[in-house]
Amino acid sequence: MRNPETPLRIGVYVCHCGTNIAGFLDVEELAAFARTLPGVVLARDYKYMCSDPGQELIKQDIQEYRLNRIVVAACSPNLHEPTFRNAAEAAGMNRFLVQMANIREQVSWVATDRQEGMIKARAHIAAAVRRVALHEPLERQYVRITPRVLVVGGGIAGIQAALNIADAGREVILVERQPSIGGHMAMFDKTFPTLDCAACILTPKMTAIKTHPNIKLLTYSDVVSVDGSVGRYTVRIRRRPRYIDEQACVGCMQCIEGCVFTRPKFPNEFDQGLGYRKPVYIPFAQAVPPVPVIDPKVCLYLSRGKCTQTCVKACGERNAIRFDQTETYEEYEVGAIIVATGFRAFDPTPIRYYGYSTYPNVYTALEIERLINAGGPTAGQLVLPDGRTPKRVGIIHCVGSRDKKYHPYCSRVCCMYALKLAHLVKEHTGAEVYNFYIDIRAPGKAFEEFYQRVENEGVRFIRGKVADIRPVSQAGVSAHSPSSGNGDGNTPPDPSATAQAVQLSPSAPAYQAQPAKKESATPIEPLLVRVEDTLLGEVREIPLDMVILAIALEPQPDADEVRRLFGISCSTEGFFLEKHPKLAPVQTANDGVFLAGACQGPKDIPDTVAQASAAAAAALALIDAGQIELEPNIAWIDETMCSGCRTCILLCPYKAIHTDLERNVAVVDPALCKGCGTCVAACPSGAAKQYLFSYEQIDQELEGILNYV
Amino acid sequence: MLQKTSSGLDFLEQLAATGEGDSPLGCMQCGLCSASCPLGHAMEYPPRRLLLRAAAGQLDRLLKSPTLWMCVGCYLCSFRCPRGIELTDGLWPALRDRAMQAGIQPPTELQETFQNLLKYGNVLGKSPRQRLQWADGLDVPVLDLSKQPQPVEVLWIVGDYPSYYPRNQPVARAFARILTALGVRWGVLGTKECALGECDRMFGEEGLFEMLVEKNRQLLQGLQFKMIVVLDPHEFRAIEHYYPRYGMRYPVEHYVTFLANRLPELTARMVRSVEATVTYHDNCCVGRRYQCFDPPRALLGAIPGLKLVEMERNREDSLCCGGGGGGMWLDAHIVAHGGYRLSDERIKMAARTGAQILAVSCPFELSRFEDAAKVTGLEGKVQVRDIVELLAEAMDLVEKESV
Repeated sequence: MRNPETPLRIGVYVCHCGTNIAGFLDVEELAAFARTLPGVVLARDYKYMCSDPGQELIKQDIQEYRLNRIVVAACSPNLHEPTFRNAAEAAGMNRFLVQMANIREQVSWVATDRQEGMIKARAHIAAAVRRVALHEPLERQYVRITPRVLVVGGGIAGIQAALNIADAGREVILVERQPSIGGHMAMFDKTFPTLDCAACILTPKMTAIKTHPNIKLLTYSDVVSVDGSVGRYTVRIRRRPRYIDEQACVGCMQCIEGCVFTRPKFPNEFDQGLGYRKPVYIPFAQAVPPVPVIDPKVCLYLSRGKCTQTCVKACGERNAIRFDQTETYEEYEVGAIIVATGFRAFDPTPIRYYGYSTYPNVYTALEIERLINAGGPTAGQLVLPDGRTPKRVGIIHCVGSRDKKYHPYCSRVCCMYALKLAHLVKEHTGAEVYNFYIDIRAPGKAFEEFYQRVENEGVRFIRGKVADIRPVSQAGVSAHSPSSGNGDGNTPPDPSATAQAVQLSPSAPAYQAQPAKKESATPIEPLLVRVEDTLLGEVREIPLDMVILAIALEPQPDADEVRRLFGISCSTEGFFLEKHPKLAPVQTANDGVFLAGACQGPKDIPDTVAQASAAAAAALALIDAGQIELEPNIAWIDETMCSGCRTCILLCPYKAIHTDLERNVAVVDPALCKGCGTCVAACPSGAAKQYLFSYEQIDQELEGILNYV
Repeated sequence: MLQKTSSGLDFLEQLAATGEGDSPLGCMQCGLCSASCPLGHAMEYPPRRLLLRAAAGQLDRLLKSPTLWMCVGCYLCSFRCPRGIELTDGLWPALRDRAMQAGIQPPTELQETFQNLLKYGNVLGKSPRQRLQWADGLDVPVLDLSKQPQPVEVLWIVGDYPSYYPRNQPVARAFARILTALGVRWGVLGTKECALGECDRMFGEEGLFEMLVEKNRQLLQGLQFKMIVVLDPHEFRAIEHYYPRYGMRYPVEHYVTFLANRLPELTARMVRSVEATVTYHDNCCVGRRYQCFDPPRALLGAIPGLKLVEMERNREDSLCCGGGGGGMWLDAHIVAHGGYRLSDERIKMAARTGAQILAVSCPFELSRFEDAAKVTGLEGKVQVRDIVELLAEAMDLVEKESV
């Protein structure tokens, strides 16, 4: 409690914020009002309180008028509370004797009626004045930071962030859910707009992860719990059994060769199910770590307990195959966390009029990436399921994007990857390629130039959203279309094209899937695509052998669980929410947790890498400070009133309270307390209290509000 | 020559203010509506350009175009619109309303229908005294609430076609028998029944629609019932969507959902098998608009011996019969302006499945598809039956008087 001997000397400062506040509220009148409040010895209004001269004003007044409390009526304390606390401290005042009244976000920006705005602004100022009168000097508390960073997700974002931090000499724990790092980028063939081979630029970084002395790589693992807070998180990681000892395995792949299944039989997830793998497999040739994994659902020994275990024989004395492996858990203490969990590719099945999963020649873009990739199921041959090379290929843009029924947002990368695929399809097959687009969005560096290049290569562009895809034999209504076969290259497909099965590379290694999932012996019927050419202003029907859907990027299916795990928020679309869209793009509402890559929103590789490095820099800035200042508004226990009932201990979401067994009282760990106030509200005897949120302070704040409205 | 334009934004803003769908100002001109429209290729102004012209303030050109009378209300454009814009129930009726206010007459057949509604309260121009003709010789009692008002569970609004049209009357009789077999206490409005008017609102005849709403308000006042059941999906739409705007709120069910909710009781009474391959035509009004796709299939699937197959366009992608939104009286106009009868295409699709029966759940569809079967040479190959008729057959509630 304030020493009643010392008279209150409160200074109130009303900020104009240019015209942000003064354009709507009468700031002079607010200052005059403040002068009438008890304890206020001085009130001023000033153009920009946060400016140097504005802060100087506070410092001078503190000394000249012996002020002992400060109220700044300006913007949100999120923005400038530290500014004014620093100013007060510089003038010799305890920094926690400053209170802000938010008359910008809460009043001038949102109120529509000036008179009512003035009433509300006065209430805010009065509340701050009455509250600050009860503020007490508090000491700043610090906690040591563990100089280690957890990176969650081993796609290009996580890889980049982990390497940056490790290169700066700090330890990184990199956790990846899949058997290999690499993420979506590892599935791509080439990257836009430069057409570098994705694997060629990614695999050196993947290898660097594996060999870096500062990086501990945990694949086939996921984070199951996060305790503690900024600077001192304890994370628990579940390691799923690979049934192969990572230390003992040398990556010779003899087990795959030796597996009792002589041919790959099970859909390979990495190849989007277009190719096959064995029960013991490696997702792709350059996988890191280069250690196979055994799928317990299909492995004969693990699923039925009966197998001759030819893989074990093949492994020989290395003895790396461990059927007895079970799930294990590891715990690490880290100072900061980078969430880089990526995106999921939209499943277009619900858009029934595109016939995906009905017609075998309708593909997603990701499937095409695998088909044209030399490491993919057809060894890089872009062929139809019947083995023929397509002569006419259409790429439909915005599938699942810019559509209220699916995702209202633009997925940002589809235009460019569609252009890239148009180029690659033409290069691989010589086919006539159509792009069906709504708007081409090519705002990146060298993007527009790439767009022009693809146009000049003869790729056709039709502005319109495709409404219907059907085999030509079903296209009854089309007979009425005046614009089919109108000489604009709409010649019907060549029905006499005979099936020419493509010879798959006979030397394909065992881990490479061989036949394509959509393999078909009968010739695949061409499709008729119905679209309004909005520039011509007529409905057209265009026959195509193959349709590629440029699918949206959407949040991972478990984004909500991950969000809860790390105490962060999501935007309405389900992507993780940054602290500020412009000024804190990699920070989150949870200090010490940072974001990188497409988990925050759809983005391309250059943006992902840039954001990952930004997240790494932000994490390094945090952990290299060595210690962190704690929020002062933490809970404390008045031991004279505590009965040791432990109600607070059970309720504390941060495990910040324990019982001192000798004295039988609760004790709050100031490093763990986040100031949520749960214990304060729950304590039956009123022993749990909170700095800056005492009952008296809150009462007075409410009095202030209610007396003036 | 340069087109003199004024801003059409005021028109679109008025349209947005009706609250039907999302604002048309948000159109991104993707053309999905035009290419989805089964008649889009034949229109002078397919939906996208209709909206674009309207936004450009060139309403005059639109009001005079034959396009204005080519929408059959199938709702595919609005259902798919990525920006959620209501073309079918918003833009189109608003433009038609403007046209008629400007003295532009709709096609003649349609004008006759409006006259019939005005004079007789039904689209067929029949005498209201013959409203109960459908029940002649029916072997279950019909409670006429207009003569004997008393509390009932179901107020069944029979509808114009089932009341009067010879091909639809057996459907009404079959439904009456099923209701009675289920032990439902039901009644009808008898000779007082009057059309509910959905198609008229769709057609921009707002005034006529309001007149019908008022008539029905007086009819329904004072009656005690738990719910209204209708055979016509358009009438379901009228009561569910439009009547509340006039302060008339009633629980209403289309007969398909009404029956599907009583499936176990129906199944228990199914004593005969219907050995046939059947395909179901999703109507647009309770289909696409209310996504009622599973209930009709559940009803058909429950019939012993019946094999249900799907057409290539089904559920939300179903091709309209062409009868909605006044389309029932627009075939000549549509064909004259480069279109075609959608029902002809649809019955060909049904035939391609190998089905012997095309099952329907809307009174317009029986006659439309039977005509289409004749025109396309499929008569005798594909039979058109209402779901109710098939259910009655399975429950052995067939026309005893005709046996």
